[in-house]
Amino acid sequence: MLKINSVGLTISAVPLLNNITIDCPRGSVTALMGPNGAGKTSLLKVISGEHKASQGEVEINRQSREDWKPAEIAQFMAVLPQSSTLEFSFTSEEVVALGRTPHATGTVRDAEIITAALAKVDASYLAQRSFVQLSGGEKQRVQLARVLAQIWDHCECEGDASTDGILLLDEPSAAFDLAHQLMLIEIVQQISARGVTVVMVMHDLNLAAKCADQMVFMNCGHCTAVGTVSELLTPELIKKVFSVDAEVITHPVQGTPMVVV
Amino acid sequence: MKVLNTRLITPRLCGLLLLIALPMVSLLGLMTGPVFISLADILSITLSGNGGNSQEKLIIEIIRLPRVILSLLVGSLLATCGALLQGLFRNPLADPALIGVSAGASVGASLVIVFGSMLTANGLLLGLSAISVGAFAGAIITSVIIFRLATSPQGTSVATMLLAGIAISALAGAATNTLSYLADNDMLRRISLWQMGNLQGASWDRVGLCAVTAGFLGLLIPREARALNAILLGESEARHLGVNVEWLKRRLIIYSALGVAISVAVAGVIAFVGLMVPHVIRLLVGPDHRALLPLSALAGAILLVAADALARVVIPPAELPVGVVTALLGAPFFLWLLVVQRRRT
Repeated sequence: MLKINSVGLTISAVPLLNNITIDCPRGSVTALMGPNGAGKTSLLKVISGEHKASQGEVEINRQSREDWKPAEIAQFMAVLPQSSTLEFSFTSEEVVALGRTPHATGTVRDAEIITAALAKVDASYLAQRSFVQLSGGEKQRVQLARVLAQIWDHCECEGDASTDGILLLDEPSAAFDLAHQLMLIEIVQQISARGVTVVMVMHDLNLAAKCADQMVFMNCGHCTAVGTVSELLTPELIKKVFSVDAEVITHPVQGTPMVVV
Repeated sequence: MKVLNTRLITPRLCGLLLLIALPMVSLLGLMTGPVFISLADILSITLSGNGGNSQEKLIIEIIRLPRVILSLLVGSLLATCGALLQGLFRNPLADPALIGVSAGASVGASLVIVFGSMLTANGLLLGLSAISVGAFAGAIITSVIIFRLATSPQGTSVATMLLAGIAISALAGAATNTLSYLADNDMLRRISLWQMGNLQGASWDRVGLCAVTAGFLGLLIPREARALNAILLGESEARHLGVNVEWLKRRLIIYSALGVAISVAVAGVIAFVGLMVPHVIRLLVGPDHRALLPLSALAGAILLVAADALARVVIPPAELPVGVVTALLGAPFFLWLLVVQRRRT
């Protein structure tokens, strides 16, 4: 579904990404991890088309990123940025409605989707509130509802659409409380089960371990390691990438690997 | 959890109120002036073409009707362009002066006033005096310079545009001041009056020119409403929503430069309408451009007609510049709304 083929990115003579190759099959969840400035967000921006790759290319649905028109790709690919800069007092409902911009599904269907998307992120009670007055976590949940609304048909009805959805999330859980971090994981698992390919930047190794099919460790614009959660969560690799001494233990109930520092 | 409705009225109700106010204010504009004309006379003159006495008929047909229509058109152009620019810059305090249009127009007009006395004698172009043509040219030239300065192969940066706009406006201000310094007393008075804006020069030719511009923009601008909503989220967010942001920016800059340049050419610099009207409408009905753009056009038209009517009656037989009146009328109302809005939230 999404292929990153030896992508390099250089901006103003500063190399930000170097020979990155990642394959994200349909319905997979990929977690991009690494210290600050490792190039995670830059890579996400190359995928989303904000930066053009200096070398290599991104392939979406067997077609080069360059060949997709913005209006076409917006039908099935949504991007959640780190933070929002919206200064105008839209209600939360109206912000979510903006997610329907690429579609011409009509106001009735859109209203259904908006209500459902707000409910999905536990933000129904925010619908009529002014977005600018929300807390950081509430804003991020409304923005999450907006990107879900954008690719709603891909999230909710499998095989209905001609192309599968892609969702790019940049530190989606940074502002969330514990309950909403788990809610995010659940949503990611649900939509990936319906065929949506998810690529997300995350800092919390344990949270990422709960839902990622594939982890990517990045450092200084290079891809240090790519593999499954249990392959990557080792004390040696964590020491190498994050310069932190950590123990990896097994979750007493779920049996998944857990990082303890 | 308490649910706050942050909107004062619905767009539908706002539109209805404005549509009721528009003809009332327009009639008031036709009635007021050095010669008072009664409502009955106005209706018989405009509807049946006779009635009233011949003097009143002349006043209505040659002076007041074109003036009221010109105010309607200029007011709606300024307010709509203000709304476009505030959306484009994602800043509710942006106004047409930001893209250098007003400052450039002042230079153009001042140049003609100071050096072009030989031009003013020989005739008009599309009903425009040489001063208007100078203002239009100045407005277009500065906005093109600012746009070029802010555009690189990576695209147009609105932040650079803002800074370039401030710098170019300062430069243009210096040029206008130099010209004012060189000017004699009569020229100086004409420059400063022009900068305060007035609709005295209204004629059917100017109405025609403005109507064509407003009609053209009125067809094109509403199509941008959804994209403008998306761009409020941020440029990259709009791009991810499928908006071709670079072309959108270009179109918006062209539309607003054209709209403001025409307004400035026919009526001088009328401050505050482009800044305040969209802002007030946004406070009333929210930032959705699908409602904001048409309602701003209506409210801008109403504000300018009312301001112009008032400008004619405060110090008879002289007239106040309409730009002074828009500020006098608008600023307190604006402040009142701000206070009301703060109390509610």
